Amino acid sequence: MHRFLLSATVCAVLALSSAELRAHHSFAAEFDSNSVVTLNGVITKVEWTNPHTYFHLDVTDNQGKVTNWAVEGGAPNALYRAGWKPTSLKAGDRVTIVGSRAKDGSNLANATSFTLADGRCLFAGSSGPNGDATTNCRQVTR
Amino acid sequence: MIDRVRRRALAVGALSLAVLSWPAFAQWQGYKTPGLPRKTDGTFDAAAPVPKAADGKPDLSGIWMAPRIRVDLAQGMKKGETVPFTPEGKRIFDERRATNSKDDPGARCLPTGIPVRATLQTPFKILQTPGVTAILYESRTQFRQILTDGRSLPKEVDWPAWQGFSVGRWEQDTFVVETAGFNGKVWLDQVGTPASDAFRLTERFHRRDFGHMDLEMIIDDRKMYTRPWSTFAELLFQPDTELLEYICEENERDSARMVGK
Repeated sequence: MHRFLLSATVCAVLALSSAELRAHHSFAAEFDSNSVVTLNGVITKVEWTNPHTYFHLDVTDNQGKVTNWAVEGGAPNALYRAGWKPTSLKAGDRVTIVGSRAKDGSNLANATSFTLADGRCLFAGSSGPNGDATTNCRQVTR
Repeated sequence: MIDRVRRRALAVGALSLAVLSWPAFAQWQGYKTPGLPRKTDGTFDAAAPVPKAADGKPDLSGIWMAPRIRVDLAQGMKKGETVPFTPEGKRIFDERRATNSKDDPGARCLPTGIPVRATLQTPFKILQTPGVTAILYESRTQFRQILTDGRSLPKEVDWPAWQGFSVGRWEQDTFVVETAGFNGKVWLDQVGTPASDAFRLTERFHRRDFGHMDLEMIIDDRKMYTRPWSTFAELLFQPDTELLEYICEENERDSARMVGK
């Protein structure tokens, strides 16, 4: 119950600041909100940078093949105000990320939520129409 | 709509909880801004009266932000009104819409249009001093100076600029800012509402109470629009926070990947 409350709080807080993340560029020029991808993997690198953060992760498929994905998150200032720190996600952390795929077909997505191994759900800065943190967090933690 | 309001109310409640339970970011975020009107429980009193500057005018100083995001200035027009494009303005706007704004200079970390800075839900700080009012925009670390030392805008602009040149004056309790001398490169918003070198902007800031400010932006550009038109934004005072760094050029990788369609 305590964990649920924490998740709900974190998600709601991040929802509040989510719009702040959209300021840098047109979402639709780069990402397809109809192409939703769920990535479960291990963080390999974190770029706490403007105008966007990037979270790189290795995703292993059913055949054991490993693919490295890059996931674009919100700007550091918006994430920081929402309670993130540069060390909130580190290399080696297991995470499930829901996001919208890039239109160029590369292994790139724009994150709408992160779910950490302990069940905490962090909204991560969608620029697009899937960016309703509360809904997204509910989907992945259900 | 109600659902949205309820969700936001929940989120606001959760935010206060979170601020209490996350002392880690209290040094810069959550530090109680001194001198603000507060209720008996210590929360910010947004309905308190407008503070006054030494000259008796309303003091607009502080951090402000729109309560919701708008990437399209047309969303802030009065009900039933539409942007009065000239054929050339419409052609440029349609072209930008057709490519999902992939050529927006802002996406390449160049300056964003002054109007959209007030509607993107990114914080900015107004510093009102005698002779000049400065606006520090957190997003992209942009700033503007609005000169209030009595000068008027130059008749001829010999150096067209991204942000133009701004002068301000008071009309009763409304701070009126006029800006001209734009270079014609900036997009007014993220959907691509255009501006040429003939663009003139009038901003009318009216602080309603301590926590709320109304902003009318009058867009005048005879090349892009058949007549001046107004878009409106509401701004909320942001207590207990501070501007943070935003160096856009640090790792800008989006523009190269924008396929547009």
